[in-house]
Amino acid sequence: MATKPISQEDFLKFREFFYRKTGIQFEDSKRYFVDKRLIERIEATDSGTFRNYFITLRFETTGEELQILTNLMTVNETYFFREEYQFKCLVNSILPEITAQKKDNRPLRIWSMPSSSGEEAYSIAMYLLEYWPGISQWDVEIISSDIDTSILAKARLGKYSDRSIQHLPKSLLNKYFRHNGDDYQICDDLRNAVEFTRVNLMKASDVRSYRDFDVIFCRNLLIYFDDLSRRQAADTFFDALNPGGFLCLGHSESMSRISSLYQVRKFSDSVVYQKSKGAQ
Amino acid sequence: MALIKQKPTEIIEQCERKQARDCASLELQLSDPSPSARRWAARDLVECPDSSAALIEQLQREEDSSVREIILTTLTQLGDEEAVAGLVSCLRSEDANLRNEAIEAMKLLPDEVAPIMGQLLKDADPDVRIFAVNVLESLRHEQVEEWLNEVIEHDAHVNVCATAVDLLGEVGTSYSWEALEKLKARFPDEPYIRFATDLALKRISAS
Repeated sequence: MATKPISQEDFLKFREFFYRKTGIQFEDSKRYFVDKRLIERIEATDSGTFRNYFITLRFETTGEELQILTNLMTVNETYFFREEYQFKCLVNSILPEITAQKKDNRPLRIWSMPSSSGEEAYSIAMYLLEYWPGISQWDVEIISSDIDTSILAKARLGKYSDRSIQHLPKSLLNKYFRHNGDDYQICDDLRNAVEFTRVNLMKASDVRSYRDFDVIFCRNLLIYFDDLSRRQAADTFFDALNPGGFLCLGHSESMSRISSLYQVRKFSDSVVYQKSKGAQ
Repeated sequence: MALIKQKPTEIIEQCERKQARDCASLELQLSDPSPSARRWAARDLVECPDSSAALIEQLQREEDSSVREIILTTLTQLGDEEAVAGLVSCLRSEDANLRNEAIEAMKLLPDEVAPIMGQLLKDADPDVRIFAVNVLESLRHEQVEEWLNEVIEHDAHVNVCATAVDLLGEVGTSYSWEALEKLKARFPDEPYIRFATDLALKRISAS
């Protein structure tokens, strides 16, 4: 028997719940998208009705079904200059603030995680070289980490498809890539500018040595974590950042729902999170 | 100046902390003058199964919110009886931040909190009963609706019932119908109870 359509009341109930759990807010215009996936999971779990499915979703101790649904409701794509407004924020607001207050000449340190196939870390490198005048005065280290060693190998290799580079301006594509058959090979200068490392964010012994960062990018990862893991990640980033350092999350993620350790900073390009300058 | 790889991970890894990491030393470091050292001690104590008492003791006197948060994360990971009892004791604290932090931590411990929930919901202090309902808000446990029904059927305090009925607006099913009707009858002069109960009933009938 076909599953009954999701009623307006059920949609509202689900939307409130899902927002509280994940920070992802669905506008009314997304109704079809949400209903389709809910019905898919109601059927896959043999729940029969929304009500039964919602009970599973809400009270299942393992949180497994909520995770499956979260994966379905989010689109996991990586490409160059994804969520570019945050890179703008980096060069227009974050780095100028950090360098204005920096009391030594040590390199600035940026941590990008998860690395995935490297698009984010290389995007940061390109953005700094192209759009941040401060690069003529400061050395910058970019470290990019992931738990998956095969994806790290791919990141180090720096070979990308049409899809990955589709949002890059033509001038940057020509400057930093070599078109080779179906692939775009990133230049050696950029490959040599990023350190790729394997890290399990949930393992204290893995993250202990990651310190003294000025900026951390951790976008679209925490939405896949359960509540406790999100808190652990927030705690880890706190000690990895210098006082006054910044944490950039994905557009649908909010640190305010995870931890009270950070201050919200609203810049013209983006909202980011800051470790207090006075934190010890 | 440029993009550099001056400090690869291997070099960073040499920057190990100097203090001892055995359980007894970590417990002592919970009172280190440096908040950073206290945070690291609290984080590393997750490997020490008997450390809940020391963590709770530090939690109740800790003034740095960043250290408190990490202590709470570790207590949640440990999740033993002592950790849960310690969190419950925080619900009675005069410090509103500590109370809220304890509520958030308890929400992450459904199986550990379940055995004491009935008792918390009957606590003599209505504030503690409200905090217990707050814990239920995000507690993943199959008895949540049943506990909320107990509250709205029997609790004499209107604020405790109002908190519970708010939550039933989200999680209530037809199982709660009768209890909701009774609640309206118990508090006929409370407009908020009438409003929240009607909303919960409307949502139940629509599902």
